[in-house]
Amino acid sequence: MKKNSKILAGLALAATAIIIMLFSTMPSAGSKEITITDLSENAAKYQDDYIMTQGLLKKETVKWDADKLELHFDIYDESGKEIMPIFYKGVKPDNFSDDVIIIVEGFIQKDGVFHAEKVQTKCPSKYEGKDYDEEKHKEIFNDKKQ
Amino acid sequence: MYVIGNIALYLGIVIAAYSLLANIIGMIKKDNRWLESARGGVLSLLFVSSIAAALLLYLLGTSQFQFKYVATYTNETLPLIYKLSAFWAGNAGSLMLWAFLLCVYAAMVVFSKEKRNPMMPYVSSIMLVNILFFFTVMVLNANPFEMTGSIPPDGKGLNPMLQNPGMVVHPVTLYLGYVGLSVPFAFGIAALILKRMDAEWIKLTRRWTLTAWMFLTIGNIVGGWWAYLELGWGGYWAWDPVENASFLPWLTVSAFLHSVMIQERKNMLKTWNVSLIILSYILSLFGTFLVRSGILTSVHAFGDSNLGTYFLVFMSFMMLVSIYIVMTRYQLIKKESNQVESYFSKESSFLVNNLIFVAAAFAVFWGTMYPLISETLTGAKINVGAPYFNKVMAPIMLSLIVLMAVCPLIAWQKPAVDKFLKSMMWPLAVGAATGIILTVLGVKGIFAIIGLSSASFMLATHIQEFMRGTSARMKATKENPWKAAYRLTAKNQRRYGGYIVHIGIAVLAIGVISSQAYSKEVMKTVNKGESFTIGKYELTFNSLAERMKDGNGIVTADVDASYKGKSIGKIMPEKIFYETWPEPSSEVAIKTNLAEDLYVVVSSWESRDKVTFLVKVNPFVSWIWAGGIIMLAGTVFALFGGKPTLSRIPAIAGQKFKGR
Repeated sequence: MKKNSKILAGLALAATAIIIMLFSTMPSAGSKEITITDLSENAAKYQDDYIMTQGLLKKETVKWDADKLELHFDIYDESGKEIMPIFYKGVKPDNFSDDVIIIVEGFIQKDGVFHAEKVQTKCPSKYEGKDYDEEKHKEIFNDKKQ
Repeated sequence: MYVIGNIALYLGIVIAAYSLLANIIGMIKKDNRWLESARGGVLSLLFVSSIAAALLLYLLGTSQFQFKYVATYTNETLPLIYKLSAFWAGNAGSLMLWAFLLCVYAAMVVFSKEKRNPMMPYVSSIMLVNILFFFTVMVLNANPFEMTGSIPPDGKGLNPMLQNPGMVVHPVTLYLGYVGLSVPFAFGIAALILKRMDAEWIKLTRRWTLTAWMFLTIGNIVGGWWAYLELGWGGYWAWDPVENASFLPWLTVSAFLHSVMIQERKNMLKTWNVSLIILSYILSLFGTFLVRSGILTSVHAFGDSNLGTYFLVFMSFMMLVSIYIVMTRYQLIKKESNQVESYFSKESSFLVNNLIFVAAAFAVFWGTMYPLISETLTGAKINVGAPYFNKVMAPIMLSLIVLMAVCPLIAWQKPAVDKFLKSMMWPLAVGAATGIILTVLGVKGIFAIIGLSSASFMLATHIQEFMRGTSARMKATKENPWKAAYRLTAKNQRRYGGYIVHIGIAVLAIGVISSQAYSKEVMKTVNKGESFTIGKYELTFNSLAERMKDGNGIVTADVDASYKGKSIGKIMPEKIFYETWPEPSSEVAIKTNLAEDLYVVVSSWESRDKVTFLVKVNPFVSWIWAGGIIMLAGTVFALFGGKPTLSRIPAIAGQKFKGR
């Protein structure tokens, strides 16, 4: 066997070891991405899974307890049918406004409340997306004038 | 102006297509006039894209809200620097920047002193295909010169998170890096097509690759710094798909930078090198595709648009063409390759280095794409977050650090185990001492201690290499230490530039390991005058004040901070209410020193007298930025060291001889 081939064989062995490592960490370190609808219909099924879900924020449902540092809010899916109540022990992230997309990670509880360990916001118009809405910006502009 | 802008874009398509054709005709007919004409075409492309870019800058700077792009990303009161940097805030402008940079690079390549090189028409054609693609996408899908129906009184404004100095540097440097990769890619493919299997294309593009790598490094580190300052993006690195997308080409180019040295010296690894640069180039497109397509759930992805499809198609096309060319030349490459001479040599250690880099890239890629892979295989979309990446990448990066610690001590070609062990003694002792001292000091966390020891091991190796080289030169030339050190490094800029980069990585690694392992966090709601502690810091909340600046309302919390009972001054975290944005954004206040950052955010308030703070103590974060600066300095140093190493060896040997 040539030296090149031997070295290649050694490297391939090392590569295999790394790949095995990849696969072995995979299931434990992941979160399942489930839609709100699926989650509220099959809450029992997903009880033991670490879950990631996303929905739009209902601003009027935000309840913030400053002394306990507890945050409650509801998110809904785009059709508006399903609503998922979220509980989070922590502060509000930036950009926490009406209809913003919220990405949460955590566990669904028996009572149907989602206990989030991570809350992140994603603004659909953050960089790109919605077309320029003239009406809306006329409003903002007028508000500013007053 | 609408007309000028659009003419420029259409002209871009026409000229790029024409030049491509001229190149092909020129190559078939072997007619220099056609090639000359294509060169002229590249120059006109530079002219046209400069006009388009300058025009967009002008429109942004003067707030011409009849243009949709200007109205969407800026408003009247935005500071000028952010009005201008809104250039790359959206899809259309980013594509324009990309096209412009491509034209600049193409012109630089085509008019370089290698312009008569037979590879050049191919290189030029490959770059023209890229340029053509970007202009076409702009015209079809994301025209920066689109008009609004009626002129709005004011623009929508720039997202507050983008109003940060990071916005001025981060996207441009990343694009400079991405676009820069197209040059070595084009040369690699050209060399393959022409069956020129020597290292010429590598030598010609060394500076290009290194420059691209440097910009990718800056882009990634400035991105981390930016994310660190903007709360909600969670620290400096979150393993978000979009971040990973910019990390992937960095990893493969890092591998490439090392493996090309073997091809230059030993005429080996030819297929591998060409594959690496193809991979890096494809990954740079892949990054853009990920960001634009919205196929993955990411916090900072652009909205869904069919731009992703364009990129996917283009990327697949380039990939298939590249694979086809590599396959058809494979036998030829193989025939001309050399064999490794010894297991324990620099060559083998570089192979291990490459394996680690590529494994790292694969691990990142795998984790990033896992949601899609798992959805196809099992139906459930499974996201792997930071825990996966930390678990997998920590050992990979650790082995990379250890490898960097021993690699400079391994000789080329011949196995010199005794010498290697002897020279490793001191650095290894430094590493072990670090571990022991940390343990004695009561530092917890075995993995972090191993990591820190390895980093100091690696640091010591490189410092020893500098000292050894200097003292050898002092003995040989009787120069004083400073002069000897200067001459030594100036004579071997590639090598010592690389070592400086390694030192930067060691410093950065210390910062990353410490801040990941030993960060503290406290959330607290306090009343006026009340204090709370975090670590050895004590914070007292004094008052909440409100003021106006540039039409934005700013709420500032006044906090007294003390460390071990001694006052270290005031900390003023802010919340800014932008007039164009519904929600305020946090301005973090940071007290930084060499050992740690005190990181204070005013999160929310119930009244003027009751405020909630989020406070973190992040150790050694400033080392990350310092490491980045050292890496940059090392790269620049290596960039100015020109000629290939081979031709130098006799020169240095001659000098030593003279010294005696």
